[in-house]
Amino acid sequence: MPINTQSRILVVDDELLIRWSLSEALTAAGYAVVEGRDAAEARQAIRDQDHKPDLVVLDYRLPDSNDLGLLTTIRHEAPTVPVILMTAYGTAEVVKGALDLGAYRVVSKPFEVHDMASLVTEALAAR
Amino acid sequence: MMSLQALMSAVSQFRPDDETGGLLRAIVESSDDAIIGKSLDGTIVSWNAGAQRMYGYTPAEAVGQSIALIVPVGQREELERISSEIAQGRRVASHETIRVTRDGRRLNVSLTVSPIVDATGRVVGASAIARDITEAKRVEAALRASEERYRSIIDSAVDAIIVIDRRGRVEAFNAAAERLFGYAAKDVLGRNVTMLMPEPYHTEHDAYMARYLTTGEKRIIGIGRQVTAQRKNGTTFPVHLSVGEMTIDGETRFTGILHDLTARVALETQLREQAALTRLGEMAAVVAHEVKNPLTGIRGAVQIIGSRLPAGSRDAEVIKEIVARIDALNDLMKDLLLFARPPQPRLAPTDPRPILETVVNLVRQDPGAREIAIQVVGTSDTIVADQELLKLVIQNLLLNAVHAINGAGSIQIDVHTTGSMCRMTVTDSGPGIPPEVREKLFTPFFTTKARGTGLGLSTAKRFVEAQGGTLAIDCPPRGGTTVSIELPRFEGTAPQRSGS
Repeated sequence: MPINTQSRILVVDDELLIRWSLSEALTAAGYAVVEGRDAAEARQAIRDQDHKPDLVVLDYRLPDSNDLGLLTTIRHEAPTVPVILMTAYGTAEVVKGALDLGAYRVVSKPFEVHDMASLVTEALAAR
Repeated sequence: MMSLQALMSAVSQFRPDDETGGLLRAIVESSDDAIIGKSLDGTIVSWNAGAQRMYGYTPAEAVGQSIALIVPVGQREELERISSEIAQGRRVASHETIRVTRDGRRLNVSLTVSPIVDATGRVVGASAIARDITEAKRVEAALRASEERYRSIIDSAVDAIIVIDRRGRVEAFNAAAERLFGYAAKDVLGRNVTMLMPEPYHTEHDAYMARYLTTGEKRIIGIGRQVTAQRKNGTTFPVHLSVGEMTIDGETRFTGILHDLTARVALETQLREQAALTRLGEMAAVVAHEVKNPLTGIRGAVQIIGSRLPAGSRDAEVIKEIVARIDALNDLMKDLLLFARPPQPRLAPTDPRPILETVVNLVRQDPGAREIAIQVVGTSDTIVADQELLKLVIQNLLLNAVHAINGAGSIQIDVHTTGSMCRMTVTDSGPGIPPEVREKLFTPFFTTKARGTGLGLSTAKRFVEAQGGTLAIDCPPRGGTTVSIELPRFEGTAPQRSGS
């Protein structure tokens, strides 16, 4: 368990219950969680040099983002940070585009909240 | 003519200078018909002006010659028959035959030959009266040809043509009408045209006609409109009907031209359905997103709360049920998306048999299939299909069969090639489908299951059609249900690896 290192996970979703449940599950798994509600907050968090996240759990569709632009920015500004992308309705094109941009995994909503914690651990270990 | 015959026989009895004989001669000479006297051996003895006009020989040229002068070679037998009748004192009644003129023209003539007897009653010769009917025959033939031409135009018409009289009785029913309605013309001619109409046209038609004939109020004549017609087998179909009016021999008649609109209406329906499906697809994508996001949040939050319940809490069951219901909602969204936005098929040469086996093994795990024997029989050539879509289709059909059996039973999947198609049939030992349900089977959201979306079969059909195939359902009288899929056979010689 990465208690000692306290990896920082950025969870970006406009749905409060998703942020809350992911935050609770990841905290229980020993991670420090930072939350973002939209693309603007996500960009801000990724540029925070003092509290740079180690991994991002990102919703594909946000109030101010509905394409792969945000993922592109994150991959560009923090190429070593794994990104797990969540989609409610991911077409084959979106999934392929995200993986081509270097997303670690594309997860379809809804998902097992505890499986997400395992996936985060797996992605961090694969860095 | 009859009296002339009698007179002619008298002619031979009188001397030429006899007063009565002169009168008779004048009558004979003025006739337009050819009147020829001949002896028993066939020698011409008299030849009137009509004979000269018709055959071209003068009396001087003809008298003394054999009657064979004007009889074509092929007609000599007829000549012998006539001679034999005359010799026995019998008259040869008016009949049609051929004669030849001096310049070689063949004439159609109507001929009557009567015996001439002397004072003692002995037959001494014959009188032949011939009328040229060549022109009449030509006109008749031309009329017949013209009528045949019109008939063939009417019968070769693609559209149905029906003529009725002022009381609505059918007077003409062309070949296209026979094809369209399934009636032979003889079944329809003379009967009321309303036999070709379903209600309410059937009841209203007589009143329409009566009103038109009394008031001249036109509802359809000269206008044309779409109406519904009824075939012999009772089924109805849309037609465009245009009606023209005509008067023959002072009798009003109506000509109806019917153009079958079945294909056009079907195409319009298909286009409308496609447009509706496109809209549904756009809507489903939005709804899916708006529903799945909160579902994900609710599901996650309930799971977190559930994980914090004290061990052995009875609320854990409730949490489980909430999650199960959320998953059912999510499945509904998935079904809706699959139906409304089917993925573009990625067609590739595919061996159907392993796909069937894979799906059968999957369905065998279903709790409902525990007492059901599922077997796959037959083989098929390589087909062109999208493996993933085909799997979904087969899985859909098998689960339907499992639900239909609802307990113990059997499902058989037959696979074989027929012509350019591969046919796969799924037959179950279930109770079959009630007739009132059958027609709604492919209606989206129609379901007989307590917890079904009513999209399974519609989706399966859409997927099969997207792969260039067909899906049909049959309920044999012995029970059970058979669903048949046909997909195109791969026609290439070197199948590539699928999924490329």
